[in-house]
Amino acid sequence: MAEISFPLPDLGEGLIEATVLEWLVSPGDQVERNQPLVELETSKSALELPSPQAGKVIRIHGAPGETINVGEPLVVFEVPDNTAGIVGTVPKDDAPKRRVRLSAVLDED
Amino acid sequence: MSESTTATLEAAARNEQSVKLSMQQALNRALDEVLAADPKTVVFGEDCGQLGGVFRITDGLQAKHGETRVFDTPLAESGILGMSVGLAMAGFHPIPEVQFDGFAYPAINQIVCQIARMNYRSRGKLPMPITLRVPSFGGIRAPEHHGESLEALFAHVPGLKVVSPSDPHDAYHLLKYAATRPDPVIFMEPKSRYWQKGDVDTADGGTLTGARIVRPGRHLTLVAWGAMVARCLQVAELAAEDGIDVEVLDLRWLKPIDAEALATSVGKTRRAVVVHEAPLTSGLGAEVAQLITQNCFDTLKAPVERVTGFDVPYPSGDLEDEYIPNIDRILLGIQRVLEYRRG
Repeated sequence: MAEISFPLPDLGEGLIEATVLEWLVSPGDQVERNQPLVELETSKSALELPSPQAGKVIRIHGAPGETINVGEPLVVFEVPDNTAGIVGTVPKDDAPKRRVRLSAVLDED
Repeated sequence: MSESTTATLEAAARNEQSVKLSMQQALNRALDEVLAADPKTVVFGEDCGQLGGVFRITDGLQAKHGETRVFDTPLAESGILGMSVGLAMAGFHPIPEVQFDGFAYPAINQIVCQIARMNYRSRGKLPMPITLRVPSFGGIRAPEHHGESLEALFAHVPGLKVVSPSDPHDAYHLLKYAATRPDPVIFMEPKSRYWQKGDVDTADGGTLTGARIVRPGRHLTLVAWGAMVARCLQVAELAAEDGIDVEVLDLRWLKPIDAEALATSVGKTRRAVVVHEAPLTSGLGAEVAQLITQNCFDTLKAPVERVTGFDVPYPSGDLEDEYIPNIDRILLGIQRVLEYRRG
């Protein structure tokens, strides 16, 4: 298994920090990509932060009320080694399936 | 000491160097070793530093080698490759990454007009020892510009070398080899093969130039590179069930192409099918077919067949399996060659 840290991303508009309002996941939870992880408040607005990936949450950083700087760890995921890519899926190495049969007569001249 | 004992001892010594790695791990290790061996090497690209790359290829390298040698860049491929030109001029050995194949288009000016010809333009005073890593080809259900095959485009540019490994062993050694070349190398990583493990003999890379026979056969040569090599090996196994003995040739270097290896293989099998993911028209398969025809015209049993992607923009993930040459399409290509009779 591999660990992937998800730091607080740049939330735009020059914001450098955010305050945790409420965690929507707990350590041990299996989350899907785009599933809301945490409700944050910035000096501009409150927002739900979606998960950048699927995986198991193993650590969360920041109790409600605590402020986290952009770039600091927010969530640590655990993912299987072979699905550690962030974009796309890992192709399955299935047993090859065929419909076509070769029916050639070879002339071995 | 008898000859066989020596051979056994050498094999044992080699085995100690043989490890099972995924291509992702093999590439990571190769970069780590290149960074350690050559203080002039710098590795950079979008998410290459702190995150360790979207495919984890640069995982842990910034922590180990520092932020001045492994770093993140803005989302601007023209800047990534433009900076590579300047770094190379200043004596560095850049290993930039464009995160996905289709992201190379914004940097075509820097690649074609600067990197490829600076050595020529400066009469050899400004070589460009740049290894441009490009996660390439399709198969991972990713969005647009994440599944394209640009080898023909790169191969058409004088001054560039182009290589694509098909397994972890070759990935490890070819990347280390490319990184120590004095010329720019486009290093196309088959992203659908990043996670499958294979034996890597770290001590002995074997021959790193030219093509490689990955499965010997008598009746027909399948020519492929990158992710299509694994699929062609599957096809060869299935063809064997029907009594057809297929040789699989991993081209590896797409510029320059190993014309001699093609001639040797097809000279023996007398039939050839070339397989690639890129669209058919003006794809590298045409170049391969011509080189085979040029050298094997008198002995060929049939025209060289091409089994390729279609002449359409690379489709969305749902249609990927229809686009990328599948086992049946490759088998049908083989069948057409086997059935061919001179009129």
